[in-house]
Amino acid sequence: MMTGHERIGGLPPTRPGYFPDLLKVYQDQTLLKGSRREEGDSFLSGITHGTTILAFHYRDGVLVAGDRRATASNRIMSNRVDKVIEIDKSSLLAISGSPAMALEMARILDHSLKYYRRSQLTEISLEGKIRILAQLLKDNLSMAVEGIGAVVPLYIARDPETGSVRIYFYDILGAHFEGVEFSVGGSGSPEVQGILRYLDRWDSRPLREYSRDEAIVLALRLLETASYFDSATGGVKGQDPVYPVIKLLTPETLETIDDRTISTIYKDEVIRVR
Amino acid sequence: MFDEPYRWIDAIHQRRDYIAEQLERAAPVIGLSLPEGILLATFHRQNPKIFEIYDRIGMAGIGHPADLETVRGILLNMAHVEGFQRSSSDVSIERLSLFGLAPRLKSAFEDISVPPIILDVLLAEVGRTMSEDRFVQVSFDGNISRGTDMAVLAPTDEISARMIRALKEAPRDMETQKLTLEKALPRLRDIFLRTLYTQEDLGTNDDGAIVSPDRYALCDKKLTEERAWEGVLLDRDNPTCCRHIPLPPSENLALSGKSR
Repeated sequence: MMTGHERIGGLPPTRPGYFPDLLKVYQDQTLLKGSRREEGDSFLSGITHGTTILAFHYRDGVLVAGDRRATASNRIMSNRVDKVIEIDKSSLLAISGSPAMALEMARILDHSLKYYRRSQLTEISLEGKIRILAQLLKDNLSMAVEGIGAVVPLYIARDPETGSVRIYFYDILGAHFEGVEFSVGGSGSPEVQGILRYLDRWDSRPLREYSRDEAIVLALRLLETASYFDSATGGVKGQDPVYPVIKLLTPETLETIDDRTISTIYKDEVIRVR
Repeated sequence: MFDEPYRWIDAIHQRRDYIAEQLERAAPVIGLSLPEGILLATFHRQNPKIFEIYDRIGMAGIGHPADLETVRGILLNMAHVEGFQRSSSDVSIERLSLFGLAPRLKSAFEDISVPPIILDVLLAEVGRTMSEDRFVQVSFDGNISRGTDMAVLAPTDEISARMIRALKEAPRDMETQKLTLEKALPRLRDIFLRTLYTQEDLGTNDDGAIVSPDRYALCDKKLTEERAWEGVLLDRDNPTCCRHIPLPPSENLALSGKSR
């Protein structure tokens, strides 16, 4: 007896609700097949990279921020890249590394969550979301080790079971860990990581006690510091101000801080002439 | 066996009659374009009939649940792959039905060597404004019909025409002269009651007036006890996620003070 799918020309069965499987049926897995590169290839220097991203817990939830610069070798490709992406109403993906791969992953993740919800008629679990991203990173391994398309994302999501917001960071193999207080990514991250660790440990109070406004000021100062030491991290230039992206994910809301607010805070709290 | 044209035509006729007979008992589904979005509504007995397919797009089906599930899977796959590889705005019910569903249903219907697909499908796509809302119905033989302001997926044309007539008579908002979600919902309950129960059971006269409020109330009680309400809004303001709409009390029962 023929199945319904066979009778009307459907697709062969894949893992139920798993969108990347479906894509593999339709395409030669554009994400993410490595190509062997010869020693001394010079085109790799033209591959675009993006940095710096950060996420930390504050009083109401988690602040996620990213600078806007993408570079290819010593060239600035763009100063308007959005590296903090809303995957759905309860999760954010912050991307550092190859924007081409990272944006493709964000797109697959976005479609995967919707596809799961619509096909399985239920929301995927937080662990399920985290695993999809891990699998995408693992599939991208050959590109990453060849130096073409490494992606190191942060995934920030509400945990429906506890009602809290959690930060996860990944390595290029797809291993994921929870950033208990904060996580960072990209070439400007060493400075940011050091400052966050210092503040959380030895400031008068831990990061989790920072108010919303204090958290925004801190994020802007951190990115400014990263841009001071790291040429791949974009700062704010006077004649053409492009401000970092800052989003706040709390147990109830997802808020994007608008440019006007950031501009005011930047002028008042970040630009200081001693 | 079917190599002679007459035998093939005869077999197709029998197949059509068989499917129509199977669909006879199905509860209809209503699709309504409203200022808030597109409402798809029905009362089902066992299995849900209305599903979200993609951003802005929903589907409803009457027929065999297994066939509905198969077609739902095909539409979901097509829409998501298309939306991923191109853009979500490139996914439309016109393309899904014309290039995806209709040819497959037609082939399946005309291949008399395999069991038939027992299913009629209604696709709905919410636009930015009411004038951009679209409905497409694809029947079990692959035929397509289109609509803009409302659609009824029913086992027979007669039921469909009757329900559309009743929907057109539903009271409009005084200011905009449009049917709103608030005004449509109680009316839908009444329309389903009059479709699923006989005039005698309902206690209504030939003009449709309720002459026995007790009988009407009893049918209303049976309706919600024996069947489950499904009201899904393809939200114009939030097209990436559809919204389930609860069923309000019957307007007729509210008027006669018998609302439960």
